[in-house]
Amino acid sequence: MRRAGIINNRPSFPSGALPIAAALAGLLAGMSGFVRAADLFSPPLIRVEASYTADSNVNRASADEALRDYALGLRASASSAIAVSTRTRAIVQGFAGTERFHTYTGLSRNFIGVQGDYQYRASGEFGAPTWGAFVRTQADSYESTLRDGYRHSFGVNVLKPLTDRIQLFGALSRNITDGKSAVFDTRNVSLRGNADWSLSRWDVVYLGAEYRRGDIVSTAPLTPGRADIADAVTTVPDDAFNNPALFAYRFKASTWITTIGYNRAFSGGQSLDFSWRWIHSTPTDLRGLATASENTYTANQLSLAYLVRF
Amino acid sequence: MDDPRRRVLIQALSAGLFSLAGGASAQSIFGTAPRKLPAGQSIFRFSGRVLVNNQEATLATPIKRGDTVETAPNGEVVFVVAEDAFILRGASRVTVEAPPASSGLQTLLRLTTGKLLSVFGKGRPTRIVTATSTIGIRGTGVYAETDPEQTYFCTCYGVADVTANNDASSRETVVATHHDRPLYILAKGKTGANIRRAPFINHTDQELMLIESLVGRTPPFVFPLEDYSAPRRDYQ
Repeated sequence: MRRAGIINNRPSFPSGALPIAAALAGLLAGMSGFVRAADLFSPPLIRVEASYTADSNVNRASADEALRDYALGLRASASSAIAVSTRTRAIVQGFAGTERFHTYTGLSRNFIGVQGDYQYRASGEFGAPTWGAFVRTQADSYESTLRDGYRHSFGVNVLKPLTDRIQLFGALSRNITDGKSAVFDTRNVSLRGNADWSLSRWDVVYLGAEYRRGDIVSTAPLTPGRADIADAVTTVPDDAFNNPALFAYRFKASTWITTIGYNRAFSGGQSLDFSWRWIHSTPTDLRGLATASENTYTANQLSLAYLVRF
Repeated sequence: MDDPRRRVLIQALSAGLFSLAGGASAQSIFGTAPRKLPAGQSIFRFSGRVLVNNQEATLATPIKRGDTVETAPNGEVVFVVAEDAFILRGASRVTVEAPPASSGLQTLLRLTTGKLLSVFGKGRPTRIVTATSTIGIRGTGVYAETDPEQTYFCTCYGVADVTANNDASSRETVVATHHDRPLYILAKGKTGANIRRAPFINHTDQELMLIESLVGRTPPFVFPLEDYSAPRRDYQ
């Protein structure tokens, strides 16, 4: 049995991920030279994040079927801004990481991806909003083969300092996953808002709310009602959970995600971050014998993260 | 029968005490959208213990050339003097001197110890004297941290002539558009080598935008270097 923190197989990415990884590596390796040559890129900003997350419902099932677990995560990213004009810029970010679950190790994954943002800001005035459009793509390699695949997201966002202590952020995005199993081919639309509240120079409390509408995937014992509501069901038991009674199925739902967090910064670009995320999902398209109760889930995630930037 | 507590309460309400305190408290907790400070107001905000000329500061305390501002280790004050604006961090002491007209200087700042972010109006040059350096600047934004051993100095934008106090041969002119060349100026380094490159630390573009707003200006850059520090991980 595989245990948490023991990565005993080499990272294996979906076949299409290697060119992305190579391109990313080349981009990052060549970035500093490009800066000096063209003076278009800002110096690369590197962020590393190590996290511990406890999740009350990793299978996204109804309360009496929920399975809890915790995961250790490590994520690194490098980004650089490219001045396009006085008021516009592009930001290119490459990122990679891993997430390791303790009990349900099939949920453990490695990931690598790139994100591009294009931003507009009318002036350097304190309260001027920054408008942006973004596109992100990443490859996920799970220890559950059903989940292997790609994740894409694109949308628009805005960042607005409200006062010297409060900053608001809003985003509308379209999220697409393309998994090896059709059950993990999902589409949803997300609208979210965040508020950062600086208690002091070192302490930030942040609040977030997000509404998603579209496909979600649950893993639970298959019932007639779940078979009726499902747009797709795995033909074999979900290989992330080592339980032959649990099948993954996809259906349409609306999901609320709220987050409250506290970030404590230290000198040297380091910070500790604690957050609580509450997720509540309800089906939107009940069919046949399906009931809301057996297709509704609630999850709580508590995360502690250490962040450092260079 | 008239209850004396009720009478006191009514008197306090009629004096606007609660609305004033509540407003000030909310302003302090949730912040304020910065804009040019009205004439006569020098302090935008402060926290912890702050002294102006050895007197406890309030939001109404005026600060003018010739005054000395000090902060306790837990203190910070954001203030304006004429066309110049500052953030003085904790455990710091600065004197905003009024130099004689014959000096040709607009302002002379003596940062005895601590950390100071400053923006200056265009006009006559300004000089900043720290524990280990003397810096001549004009119409620019700068950040300095000083102690007896060394000074950290970042020309956030503009031009600065930097000289080590104990070594006139350690001299450098920095022309910066966006924190291009932060420096350490040492007290006891080798002759001619008392100025060294430094990383970009302990100040932000948001702070520069904030204090420029207080004097009715905007910085020359449009985008801050960093937008946030808290994680924004997606739920997956």
